[in-house]
Parts: sequence; structure tokens; C-alpha cells
Amino acid sequence: MSHGSGERTISVEGLARVEGEGSLRVEVHDGVVGEVALEIFEPPRYFEAMLVGRNFTEAPDITSRICGICPVAYQMSACAAMEAACEVVVDERIRALRRLLYCGEWIQSHALHVYLLHAPDFLGCADAVELAERDQGAVERGLDLKRTGNLVMEIVGGRAVHPVNVRVGGFYRAPSPEAVSALAEPLFRARDQALATVEWVAGFDFPDVEADYRFVALREQDRYAIDSGRAVSSDGHDLSPAELSALVVEEHVERSTALHARLGGVDQYLTGPLARYSLNSAMLPPLAAEAAAGAGLGPVCKNPFRSIVVRAVELVFACDEALSLVENYEPPNPPAATVVPRAAIGSGATEAPRGLLFHTYEIDDAGTIRTARIVPPTSQNQLTIESDLRQVAQESLDLGDDELQWRCEQAVRNHDPCISCAAHFLDVTVESS
Amino acid sequence: MTGGGANPPSGSLVGSRPLRVVIASLGNEYRRDDGAGQVVAAAVAEQVSGVNHLGPQVDPLDLLGRWDGADLAIVVDATRGQGSPGAVRVVDLIDSTESPGATSTHGISLSGVLRLARVVGRAPARVVVVGIEGQDFGKGPGLSPAVNAALAAAVCKVVELIEEARKCA
Repeated sequence: MSHGSGERTISVEGLARVEGEGSLRVEVHDGVVGEVALEIFEPPRYFEAMLVGRNFTEAPDITSRICGICPVAYQMSACAAMEAACEVVVDERIRALRRLLYCGEWIQSHALHVYLLHAPDFLGCADAVELAERDQGAVERGLDLKRTGNLVMEIVGGRAVHPVNVRVGGFYRAPSPEAVSALAEPLFRARDQALATVEWVAGFDFPDVEADYRFVALREQDRYAIDSGRAVSSDGHDLSPAELSALVVEEHVERSTALHARLGGVDQYLTGPLARYSLNSAMLPPLAAEAAAGAGLGPVCKNPFRSIVVRAVELVFACDEALSLVENYEPPNPPAATVVPRAAIGSGATEAPRGLLFHTYEIDDAGTIRTARIVPPTSQNQLTIESDLRQVAQESLDLGDDELQWRCEQAVRNHDPCISCAAHFLDVTVESS
Repeated sequence: MTGGGANPPSGSLVGSRPLRVVIASLGNEYRRDDGAGQVVAAAVAEQVSGVNHLGPQVDPLDLLGRWDGADLAIVVDATRGQGSPGAVRVVDLIDSTESPGATSTHGISLSGVLRLARVVGRAPARVVVVGIEGQDFGKGPGLSPAVNAALAAAVCKVVELIEEARKCA
């Protein structure tokens, strides 16, 4: 952080091990926040090029490698897009198994973020190790939750990271009823742990900040959307995945390798837990709805710092939903629908843990991919994260340098951005002049 | 995943049970030499019986819960800036003090995961990192010639580590 006469600069330099980099810069001139820049390297860009010329059946496996935290999201959006292109509708048993796999990913991803990445911010801990030293039970609970999520992914997806059982049309193999039934006990425990998580995070102190977000999330008629639905927005959009793909315009910004997405090329927007909850809280099943009410959440949440509470509520939902799917499991037979390629364009959208993820592919009659477009949540959220940063910084200028920097970093973490998949650290430097 | 056969060789008991050895790799096979760890770990699991192969890991945090109770955990990874391309380096993580990534938005480093595992009592007795110095971390699959040529040496080094641990057990 540097100070001149009336000037402060918060600079967070990103370093990535191999995969990519991100950095954060906020400039303050005479008590007014000026330029705010969150710069992100986005691996989906080269994956799009890599997909061209490959067979349509390869898209789920290749795109799952974009992210080690949410590979299922990439697989599910790829499958949805290819099935839309080929005009295939999978049966309910396959849909249910996909939803169970997706719940596993939500559980492991949300547990990771809530307990190990975000909670230390609120408790004055430098990191998860310090949190574990202070409250081992809490961290143990988070790790146990994450393990249960991984277990679901192993049983349904074949392994916890980059599942190998997903294919266009469904699965290579349906897990046995016995294997799926064995998930019930850990999921019961996880559901209780998720409820305890809501109580825990609801007790944190939150900055009194609200933002005027334009929310975008998937919505289904009869349930909280994860793996399908139409994209709705808080200002009235109601779009199919293809319509969403057509409406979202990404622009390249010279200072960054990331693309910035806008609705209609104009409006910035936010996807992710806050958007999902605020647009679909009425669709939450009773247990999760009661947990949300008990935590003091209204039907809409516009305080980005409370996103940790929303994630905890979604943990309850995901555990509860997974339990229901386990109890009603019937192996799909066959485990996958037959998908015959045709020359067409298809779009698919699903809800990754950190937000809406949509893919659009053009394939030919032989099933060869001609064009690929992958729009991850962080690309869609980047402009809004920068707006958050500007607002949070402006309202926090009375803080000391370290606290202000901490608050700005926290404002980024509120949205759990994928700085770069498999880029595991972001080093912070403070510059003074 | 379990590689090789199920029964470890004799002389590798800890008390009355076999020495528990796990092997994992870190890295991304779509970033050229960053995928070296996966090749080495898979080869070791094929050659050495009784080794629990955890497979490729993208997030070191996923080792938590999977390496619990191990007497020896070997993590194979590509390195950068640690010597000439293909150089194999062994680092015993006896006293890891690295921050687990206080500012991370998305994960925790291997050293941080080890520290966390120790706090919650889930760390392996010993964690060794075997690093292979990479040359090309560009986009796409496939190893550089220098790293490809070093794979056999890296596999030998890991096998030696396991055999030594079993002799000492």
C-alpha cells in the first residue's frame, strides 16, 4: 500500500504456481476511490481453442480439467450443451444421478470455502491453521463435510477430483444401489454439520454493506436450480441457455487477460450464491428455508459479506437434497441415452458452486466441435466484484492500511472467484512511498 | 487406487502391521511438464506392491482425509527454478512453516495442508516431496524431452525412498 499526498494504493500482486495469476489494485485519490482493477487469468480461453476439432463426446472430460474445485459443473454444462445440440432429453433417473453428483461438488466446494478460506476473515485469523489452533472442532467439522462431498463424487463420479464416470447422455456406469445407500449415513451426519455451520457463521460480525446487484441465476419451476433451468434476473430477464448465451457479451480489457461479461453488452451482473438465493429462496425446501430464517436472512440478501451465510444455507440444501436423492435412487438403465450427433449449435447452463456456468458449442454431422464458448462465473462476476471493491473501499477509508487491505481482500473472497483453476495462492504485497 | 500387488514385502512392518505408504501427484497434465508427477506416481504404483496410489491431485487439500494414518506419504510434483530441467530433488517436509495461503481465494498449498493436518492430528508420520524440474509449462499435454528423459531417475528415487522406509520400519 502506498501513500502520497492524499493518495493510497492497495496493491495485491498475484502469483500462481503454474496455472495463472491474478492481482488486485485499488487507487484512492484525496479520499475518493479511483481505479479498481481485479486482473485475472482465465484458463477456459485456451480450453476453448483446444476443443475445436475434437469429438463432441470429449467435451465433458476435457472441460472438467479447467477446474479442480468444480469439475462437475464443467462436465454438466458441457453435457447439457451437447444434448441440446443433438436434441436429446435424458430420463429422470439420469437427471437425478447427475443432481446427486452435483450436490457432492456443492458440499465439498462450499465446505472448503466457508471453513478454510472465508471464515478466518471474520474471526481475525490469518489462515485456516490459526483457525484450527483456536477452534479445532469447527475445522474438523468443515473437513468432515468436505470429505462427505468428496465421497459422493467418488461413488457417483468414479473419483473425487475430475470424475471419470460422466459422459454425454448420462454415465458410463450406474453405481449400485448398495454403494449409493452407503452414502446415507455420512450425508445424515453432514446435514447436521451443515445446520451447525449455519448457526456458526450467523454469529459472525458482518460489515453493514449492501449493494444494488443485478442478480442472474437459473430457476426451475419446482425446485432450487442446480443442474438445469432458465436464466432469470432480478430485472426481469427470463432466458433459455441459448438466449442467455446470445445476450451475454464478453469484452476484452487491455489491462487484463480476462474477459468481462455484460448482459446485452451493457449491464454488469452477479451470479453465485447471493444471486441464487435472492432469486430462488422461495424454492428452498423447508429445512434449508428454516435454517436461513434462523440465521436472519430475508428472502433477498444484498450484503456480500453475508454470502458465507448463504453458502452455509446451501450446504444444508445440498446435503438434504443429496439424502433425498439417495433414498429414492433407482439406477438408470441404460446409464446413458444414445446421443447421435447432428450439425447444430447447443447451449447448456448449470449452477457451479460459485455461479452460473454456460457453454455453447457448434458441432457438425460427424460430431466434430467447430466452435466452443465457455463462460465461467468469475468472468461474469468480475465487473461486479470490482464494483464491490470500490464501494467497500470507499466506505472503509477510515481503516488503517492493514485493515483496509484485509477488508478489500475479503470483499474479493466474498464471491469466491476462481482466480485461476489450480492457481492456489495469491501473494500480497504492500507498497509504501 | 491401489497399485501393484496387495502384499508388501517382508521386513516392512510397523509393530504388527505393514508400513503404510501412499503416493500422490500434484500438477496439471495440460500444462506440459506440470504433468510429470502423474507419470512418475503411476509408474511407481505399477512397480511397487502395497502402495496406496491416491492418483493425481489438483488441490493439495484433497490429500487431507486420504493420506491419514500413512507412515510415509510421497508427493511427486514438477518444480520450477530449482535446477536444470529434469533434475530430481527430494524434500522431506519435516518442519513446514509456510503459510497455508492466507490470501488464497481458492485453495491451500501443500505445506499449508501439512500444517493444517498436523494441527488436527491427521498428518502422515512423514511427508516427502519428490520434485522434477520442469522446462516447459506451456499449454497442452506432453512432457519436454528433458523431463521425459528424467522420468526413470525420478521413479528410481521414489522406489528407493519406499524401500529404505520399509527396511527401517
